Amino acid sequence: MSGVSEADLAEKVKAAHPDLVESSEVLRERRVSVTVKRDGFLEVAKSLRDDFGFIHPVCGGAVDYPKESRMQMIYYLLHPGLKVILTYRVNLPRDDLRLPTLTQVWEAMSFHERETHDMFGIEFEGHPNMIPLLIPPDWRGGYPLRKDFKGEGVE
Amino acid sequence: MSEPEIKPDIMRMSWGPQHPMSGQTRILLDVDGEKVHRIIADLGFTHRGIEKTLENRTFFQGIIPIERMVMADTANIGLGYITAIEESLGIEVPERANWIRSLLCEMGRINSHLYAFGLQAEATGYFPAVFLWTTTDRTVLLKLFEELTGARWSYNFSLPGGVYKDLPEGFEAKVIEGVHYLRRRFEDYWTAMVENAVFEARCDNVAVLKPEDAIRLGATGPVLRGSGVALDVRKDEPYAAYADLDFDVITEPACDVMARTKVRFKEIGQSLRIMEQIANEVPGGPVRTRVPLIPRSKPGEVLSRVETARGEMDVHMFTDGGSNPYRVKIGSPTLRNMYVFERLAELDEVLMADIPVVINSIDPWYLDSDR
Repeated sequence: MSGVSEADLAEKVKAAHPDLVESSEVLRERRVSVTVKRDGFLEVAKSLRDDFGFIHPVCGGAVDYPKESRMQMIYYLLHPGLKVILTYRVNLPRDDLRLPTLTQVWEAMSFHERETHDMFGIEFEGHPNMIPLLIPPDWRGGYPLRKDFKGEGVE
Repeated sequence: MSEPEIKPDIMRMSWGPQHPMSGQTRILLDVDGEKVHRIIADLGFTHRGIEKTLENRTFFQGIIPIERMVMADTANIGLGYITAIEESLGIEVPERANWIRSLLCEMGRINSHLYAFGLQAEATGYFPAVFLWTTTDRTVLLKLFEELTGARWSYNFSLPGGVYKDLPEGFEAKVIEGVHYLRRRFEDYWTAMVENAVFEARCDNVAVLKPEDAIRLGATGPVLRGSGVALDVRKDEPYAAYADLDFDVITEPACDVMARTKVRFKEIGQSLRIMEQIANEVPGGPVRTRVPLIPRSKPGEVLSRVETARGEMDVHMFTDGGSNPYRVKIGSPTLRNMYVFERLAELDEVLMADIPVVINSIDPWYLDSDR
């Protein structure tokens, strides 16, 4: 697939949901990035799966930007036909880290959301099984992958 | 771990982490007699915080912790991180270095598949000998690794900008010799084990995963290809020298435990084919470009993908202009396949006695899923 069709794809996603999609761009060959508003998070996700063919969930994670007082939740999706990876992003203010769970669209995001909850403290509302995945259940040390977390041995 | 509720009339059994077949994890099984109703994976026993560690290391220092994710397959895992660094910093790699990287990756893939195959034999309970065979035959590869990189495990051989050293004198001939030996041995494995009535009885039609479920649940690697879906990063998005190499993506239509085992087995054949091609046709030239030891990044992000022995590994690296990555997200293949494993009891009838066979068919490596 050449660069042109990825641009088409990015444009079509934006055109299908002009009010909900904040930005939609091609990062490089086979990499498309879509950022949505929190309100349209589930609706655009369903449309990506049903209308655009991103049926193969890859993984999910977050990035912490304390200086801008936000976190970005990212889901990675693959189009098995076009072999394009789409990073589906939503920005969350750091004082209100709530997001509806995406397991209703791709149930395999369950593990990745549990991991992100462990590491960043993002609340996934409606997740069917929100128990710690990687950290111990009695862990009270905070959220390890946040930028303000200082573990022992790390200056 | 805090556990989900148990339904009435169901017994919950804890399997691992001390069970000989479980590895470093605990599996909770909700059973009614022999039948497994629900599988719950309790991961995290080997969580070492590699993603956080990488944030506190320079790009070069990060190669060492990331290779600890999968010891049997360090060449592939390391390459995922290194290609991300190269793309992020705009480093060019000489052609010869790319071919040597592919050679190392395929040797690693065989090494890892051999181990998985030995464990699968162990799990069926009838072939303790096969595990010893695979461990012995692995020595052929380990010796090649040692001669090429100086280490039998954890090579740190690929570096940003190329590989550490050129091939030693006469190494190509030794690779060919090793390939011939392993080919002969794999014929023995196939007749002794795969086409064996006992092995077939344990593996045929067990834990069927239909292609649409495999895609929907995000399966990857031999688990996905064992369900007949031809997705392989080496073909879909060629890195290293894979664009110039001739190999097939192996799929099996049967979708069961046997299919996943056969995919791994046939992939070893393809890896041997690639090794032979590289030994015969490796182009000349330099093997490394000069890169500063502590390079400074440009602000931005890079998402690189490689096909490891267990499936696709993604490295999403964010840089902010410093000498360390700002954040590295590692998409682990075992974590994805463990979710598929959790769902298998609902998709097909799984018996208690099948659990070791089924879990080894996804070839889990918990240091990879926990990171």
